[in-house]
Amino acid sequence: MALRDQLRILVVDDMSTSRGLITNALDSFGIRTVASASDGPSALQKIAASPVHLVISDYNMPGMDGLHLLHALRSAPATRGVGFLLITGRADREIIEKGKQLGMNNFLKKPFEPAGLRAAIEAIVGRL
Amino acid sequence: MSDPMAEIRASFFIECEELLESLQDGLQMMDDGESDSETINIVFRAVHSIKGGAGAFGLNDLVHFAHRFETAMDEVRTGRFVPDGEAIKIFFACADVLGDLVRASRDETPILDEMTAPVLDSLERLVGMEEEVEEEVEFVPAGIALDLGGLGDLGGGMGDLPPLDLPALDMPSPDLLSADGLPEGSETPDVAGDNDAQAALGKGFKIHFLPEPALFISGNEPLYLFRALRDLGDLTVRCDTSRLPAAEALAAETGYLSWSLVLLTEEPETAVRDVFEFVDGLCVLTIEPITNAALDGSMALPDLDVPSAQIPLAPGDSAETAPVETIAAEAPPSSPAQAAPAALPDRLAPGAAAAPIPAPIPAPAAAPVAPPAPIESAAESTEPSDAPSREAKNAPTQPRATVRVDLERVDRLVNLVGELVINQAMLSQSVTEAGLPANSAVSTGLEEFLQLTRDIQESVMMIRAQPIKSLFQRMGRIVREASAAVNKDVRLHTDGENTEVDKTVIERLADPLTHMIRNAVDHGLETTEKRVASGKPRNGHVTLTAQHRSGRIVIDVSDDGGGINRPRVLEKAIEKGLVSPEAQLSDGEIDNLLFLPGFSTAAEVSALSGRGVGMDVVKSSIQSLGGRIAITSVEGKGTTFSISLPLTLAVLDGMVVRVAGETLVVPLNAILETLTLTDDDIKQLGPETHVVQLRGGFVPLLDLGAELGYRTPEQSYVGGIVLLIGQEDGHRAALVVDAIEDQRQVVIKGLEGSYGRVPGIAAATILGDGQIALILDPMDLISQASGRTKDRSLSLSHAG
Repeated sequence: MALRDQLRILVVDDMSTSRGLITNALDSFGIRTVASASDGPSALQKIAASPVHLVISDYNMPGMDGLHLLHALRSAPATRGVGFLLITGRADREIIEKGKQLGMNNFLKKPFEPAGLRAAIEAIVGRL
Repeated sequence: MSDPMAEIRASFFIECEELLESLQDGLQMMDDGESDSETINIVFRAVHSIKGGAGAFGLNDLVHFAHRFETAMDEVRTGRFVPDGEAIKIFFACADVLGDLVRASRDETPILDEMTAPVLDSLERLVGMEEEVEEEVEFVPAGIALDLGGLGDLGGGMGDLPPLDLPALDMPSPDLLSADGLPEGSETPDVAGDNDAQAALGKGFKIHFLPEPALFISGNEPLYLFRALRDLGDLTVRCDTSRLPAAEALAAETGYLSWSLVLLTEEPETAVRDVFEFVDGLCVLTIEPITNAALDGSMALPDLDVPSAQIPLAPGDSAETAPVETIAAEAPPSSPAQAAPAALPDRLAPGAAAAPIPAPIPAPAAAPVAPPAPIESAAESTEPSDAPSREAKNAPTQPRATVRVDLERVDRLVNLVGELVINQAMLSQSVTEAGLPANSAVSTGLEEFLQLTRDIQESVMMIRAQPIKSLFQRMGRIVREASAAVNKDVRLHTDGENTEVDKTVIERLADPLTHMIRNAVDHGLETTEKRVASGKPRNGHVTLTAQHRSGRIVIDVSDDGGGINRPRVLEKAIEKGLVSPEAQLSDGEIDNLLFLPGFSTAAEVSALSGRGVGMDVVKSSIQSLGGRIAITSVEGKGTTFSISLPLTLAVLDGMVVRVAGETLVVPLNAILETLTLTDDDIKQLGPETHVVQLRGGFVPLLDLGAELGYRTPEQSYVGGIVLLIGQEDGHRAALVVDAIEDQRQVVIKGLEGSYGRVPGIAAATILGDGQIALILDPMDLISQASGRTKDRSLSLSHAG
């Protein structure tokens, strides 16, 4: 079985449009198991209920931003090793540096083409 | 819509409207002086999100503008620019233009430079606009090694992650420790862990609780203890399941679980010990105070700066050193506020588990996925009973779950429910006619059916209702633009914006309301100089309020201007030949001249109001919604226009009456009371003019049959039944009918599509027996009648 058949991904974004765009792209890559959450806390809840291999998260979200989510994931033994792709509209050095420190696996700047998303994912998990 | 991208695009524009709304809200809060960082962030995020979405759809003009706006808001967010009132005005203008661009993009109409250039210029003058060059930040993606070998059965329920090289929870490997960023040579891992936790947590206690089997045998329940603890403060609970054996080795009467708890509280240790009083001796309990109050109460989010220095998990390392562990040991965070703290104590688990637990530690290999039951209880124990209140605090950032539905589908449902109501009425009638006893199964069943139909109808109507806020927000822009055009300082106040109104009503109110607001700013409010001269505050105020009042929506548009200049209005009306020069008009009558067609004409075209639309058009659009409009004005104090609208356009509570052999429906909310006339009640004033004496006052008497042209007026109305009708402005009239038949909810079927507006008639309906009945517009009827010159040929013959 190809990786794309087995990979489990959680998409986190407060904007349903962005969630739709990302899940639509993932769908087109043939990735079967994609869940989505509209904020960090519910993402953590979903991951606890049903673990994933990769989290694709927006940076700028109300309440808990993408880096806080990453921090929470890295703090818990159970989710410490999950792949994390940060999507950000502003690729500020500060954000990237912090992401690096926290163990972000990759980042992708908005707007992006599906191909860009695919490449960013493959850089983390390997060929889909 | 089969193309997913088209669907996402459509939902993007809907989402934009929501973002624009919160943008307006945020700016309004900033304007009201609430410039806290969260407010500014809301504004920033709204613009940012619109930009992000627009980028994905290649809406470059929109992206470009949003980017400039976003950059300006970023200046505000970072504190480099502190906006004053003038600046916020420009931000408002930007928000308006952003909305225009969003709609233009949605409708695929061209975006012209002149739409954006003026505000961009102001924005640039305000905050400067050196286009920041985005530096390339170096980043090497870090791959993770996924062992997918065992993933074949992932679909199978438990949701556990694949091939787990489980690091023993109680014996962290050196690798893991260094990944945790513990300083080299720190004495023991657990101490470091403790300090770490203390630094992050604040005042309270770290509790470790290991129940012995005797605790359970004596009927104690850890959950209740945790609940009691929770009452003392902020409690984070973590269940240690590492001692759980594989399912087949599980002994039912042995306790395998222990708990690490972090209680943030001001209470003394004795209070915490008291909680465990009854289980004293039945458990191993350690309670240690957390002394370091590094953080204040803002526990919701861990400060990134503190831990980031301590837990850098080098991306490259993550694959080798931190394989995915079982998630089962993790108590799922139960509320947003708790999610983050729930993650923190994890790191004290290894130490906490090692120190006080005397119990044997199973070999790592034996640590299986915990069965669901204990996790459930752990999860439950982290669920604070005050969760709702916390969530209420977080409410602004936690939108309610919604479904977007095509309005057409809702309307089809509304229509079907309408048919259902009619059908149900017919069925009831048949049952009555069949002479079935009231206690028969059919009758009682039908009774329940009636109740259900009503409930369904109400629920369906609620789907169509939405807060009037969106409409009020649009009026904010009208006020800003109108006041700028006539150079007046005007502030808009809104009240009752959460009042829910039928969607169609909201849409169709936009034009009349816009016109009224422009009028208020242009004509209602005096010039600034005049205001100052008359001792009023410089700023003019326009107030929009919405409220539910006795089954109707009442929307008031008030200004604190000079009031209606009645002599001038009268003069103009005479000039235009609308009233005769000899006419003696009351104040109220003069005010109502404003609604006459032809009153406002091109002669008074101003920059604003003169757009060829007069108040007569406003009045007729309100009427077409089944609404009424009234004016009250006080000289020197201001003017209020009051619009009263039905809650829904689909159903109506009505009184079914008979007049001259015809069945008619009178809206119940117009009827103040019903009475039977006696000789003493009636006073004749002229050949066709009667009044009813009612509790010391006189009310004009109208023969409904005669008014509608069904019959000629009668000589005597003694013994007649009248409906006392009340109008918004306090005017009343008594309508004579032959009989009152029933009181029921009727489904409104509009006539306008087929017949245009018929004076005195609001709509039609289908009654239970299938008969069609007209629904009266009593107010209109009364104002028609008070003119007494109406063209009788307009009267409808019975439509059924």
